[in-house]
Amino acid sequence: MKLKVYRYQDGMESPRYDSFELESRPGLTVLGALFQFQEQFDDSLSFNYSCRGAVCGTCGMLINKVPRLACRTQLKPLLRGELKVSLFSYPGIMETIPWDPAKEVLVEPLPHLPVIKDLIVDMDKFFEYYRFVEPVFRTSDLNPEKERLMNPEDVKQLEEYTNCILCAVCFGGCPVVGQNPKYLGPAALAKLYRFHLDPRETTDTSRLEIADIKNGWWACDSYGNCRKVCPKGVPPINAIENAANELKSKKK
Amino acid sequence: MITNHNVLIIGGGLTGLRAAIQLFDSSLDVAIISKVHPLRSHSVAAQGGMNASLGNVPGEDGSVDNWKNHAFDTVKGSDYLADQDAVEKMCREAPKTVIELEHMGTVWSRLKNGKIAQRPFGGAGFPRTCYAADRTGHNALNTLFEQVNKRNIQIYSEFFVTSLIIDQGSCVGCTALDYLQGEVHGLSAKAVLMATGGFGRLFNKSTNALINTGDGQALALRAGVPLKDMEFVQFHPTTLYGTNILITEGARGEGGILLNQDGERFMKKYAPNSLDLAPRDVVARSIEEEVAQGQGFEGDYVHLDLRPLGAERINERLPGIKQISIDFSGVDPINESIPVQPGQHYSMGGIDVDIDGKTRISGLYAAGECSCVSVHGANRLGGNSLLETVVFGRLVADQIINNVNNIESPPKKLAQANIRKSEDHIKALIDREGGENQFEIKEKLNNTMSTKFGIFREKDTMLEGLNEIKKLQEKFSQVSIKNKDLKVNKALIRLLELEGMLLLAEVVALGAIKRKESRGSHTRTDYPERDDTKFLKHTLVTWEDENMQVSYLPVKLGMFEPKERVY
Repeated sequence: MKLKVYRYQDGMESPRYDSFELESRPGLTVLGALFQFQEQFDDSLSFNYSCRGAVCGTCGMLINKVPRLACRTQLKPLLRGELKVSLFSYPGIMETIPWDPAKEVLVEPLPHLPVIKDLIVDMDKFFEYYRFVEPVFRTSDLNPEKERLMNPEDVKQLEEYTNCILCAVCFGGCPVVGQNPKYLGPAALAKLYRFHLDPRETTDTSRLEIADIKNGWWACDSYGNCRKVCPKGVPPINAIENAANELKSKKK
Repeated sequence: MITNHNVLIIGGGLTGLRAAIQLFDSSLDVAIISKVHPLRSHSVAAQGGMNASLGNVPGEDGSVDNWKNHAFDTVKGSDYLADQDAVEKMCREAPKTVIELEHMGTVWSRLKNGKIAQRPFGGAGFPRTCYAADRTGHNALNTLFEQVNKRNIQIYSEFFVTSLIIDQGSCVGCTALDYLQGEVHGLSAKAVLMATGGFGRLFNKSTNALINTGDGQALALRAGVPLKDMEFVQFHPTTLYGTNILITEGARGEGGILLNQDGERFMKKYAPNSLDLAPRDVVARSIEEEVAQGQGFEGDYVHLDLRPLGAERINERLPGIKQISIDFSGVDPINESIPVQPGQHYSMGGIDVDIDGKTRISGLYAAGECSCVSVHGANRLGGNSLLETVVFGRLVADQIINNVNNIESPPKKLAQANIRKSEDHIKALIDREGGENQFEIKEKLNNTMSTKFGIFREKDTMLEGLNEIKKLQEKFSQVSIKNKDLKVNKALIRLLELEGMLLLAEVVALGAIKRKESRGSHTRTDYPERDDTKFLKHTLVTWEDENMQVSYLPVKLGMFEPKERVY
């Protein structure tokens, strides 16, 4: 089994691809394979990592043309042709280099974000949109004595969105982000919806109005790639559709 | 480049973020420095919960929990090595801390009556652990990051701190490698708070994030601060076989049971009262014992059976565990048992601080896992680490607020000298052509630590281990890396991490060899009993003139007299 890795750094005219024959180990993940590459072949290979357990959201990248977390993606099932995700096509996942999916795993940086080096992308824009939706609780009792009560059913609904780990995999998987770099993107909108849903805050649509702009809720074209690629089962497309419907019915 | 702030916080996990909020709200200019984006900190991986005697769920006999019960369980769990004044502080502050997070926006799991839910955890007399399903750290870290983000607190992300700046016995800032740009920066401040987390990656089977390399402890040690109780390393009983990803104690809190290869609930033999919910040191030793007796499965693991919980409870309370088991082990716990084995999990020891979070160097503070205050003593109870991070993040920030206004801003030229030193050191590392491979050294170090300083320890193997560590330190001086760039050089970052880890390994080894007793997580087969006459004391290791010095510090008792620890 081989790893085919995108390589780029400042000063190169265009990226190149390096291939590396991997030592097979049970449960070998793409992240594990990248470490093999770095430790045995070329210590200048650059990629980000932290938890290696699919909770920190650091290692989002394009693996066999699907945005995924490297730590959660195992090589063997990929080579067996499993783990296929059928995405609505967009330029970010078009062919860059021929590769044999039965023998090689192709690893490239997450689309739609500038490449810093190899598999490391600049997440500034992603977090700029995160900040734009004002993701913070508004109520501010500085010395609270008691917890506020919450219905367990409401918590369940909220969890669907609080589970987001801000890995930007959906951002890299969204065809609209590719066409319109000013679109806030699925993660930021899902985050905004999480605050709107929270019953401890206001129940009106004031939160939703933050993204009641051209590049907010209304820019989504309902491709649904976001839900398919999310490693945590978060459905940004549902949040966006719900929000749009709520705003529409209010405007009527 | 040199920048100036009132206070610098090194580390962007729960401790660092909570402290930053407190300092900012006192109108101080505070900045966070972190080698990863704060949301990627290991705090995010905490699963099971945060202890607080809210008393939302009654005890077995209908009684209501209080902070004293929490303190007793913590001190007993610590095998009486915790400082009881610090434990009291933490346990008194706990309910307030959970409620404060709730008001900041954290989504906690709830009881039917709407109050914050609490589950039983190991070594606790009450269902005391507040939780957000099995993603408590994730929820809390996101909340605190949201609060930090709202305040526009400056974050130096992807900066690796290379030294603390010490002037006339005071800490006045640090230097850090901005590794995306390849430049060493100087950061001056009136006070520095270390909040850098644990050193789990010294060991080869660890639940810790790959970034947990003990950088902060190594920085403090080099600056002349003693490290305390570093031999007390927690091995979590249930880590996923293969990857050693954590399987929360909450899984047993919710009713999961441990089984050996005969399907026997073996904890009946080792902890007849507490069973699977005995403290972590007890359960980890029991599993090792079963495996040693040939009662484990091939590959040295046992089974954690969650099937008694039923599908609905697993889906509601342990969705993350279910996903981890499926993703990383191919096992759906609704239908099959999870293969688990003990793995390194937590560092009870750390930077020596007093109850206010002060180190022996004025202006230098530490809190959270990187510090040792000491609330965990020889063994930490599950649910107390998240609590420690947020409680002491706030309290130590309060101490800094009280002290910092009387201090003048340090002159920038102090930073300049340190920047040059760091640049020279980095250049020397990059230029070196000794031929040794850093990754091989790291692997050997991990093996040494796990085999010689693991759950069961003994003099001769530990001495061998110390010898191996010394050899690896020598080899380190001959390491060469191929990547010679300054910019985005991950090999260099890993090398800087390894440099510190080799120092810490020696500290752990010395503490363990000299502590001739068994207490909490430190189990010596050659000294199986606890020895309060000789060792009811904290170990301190300092690094002076390239040599380690070991000394001891009395334990602060008070509320609870040391007793035999039975579960």
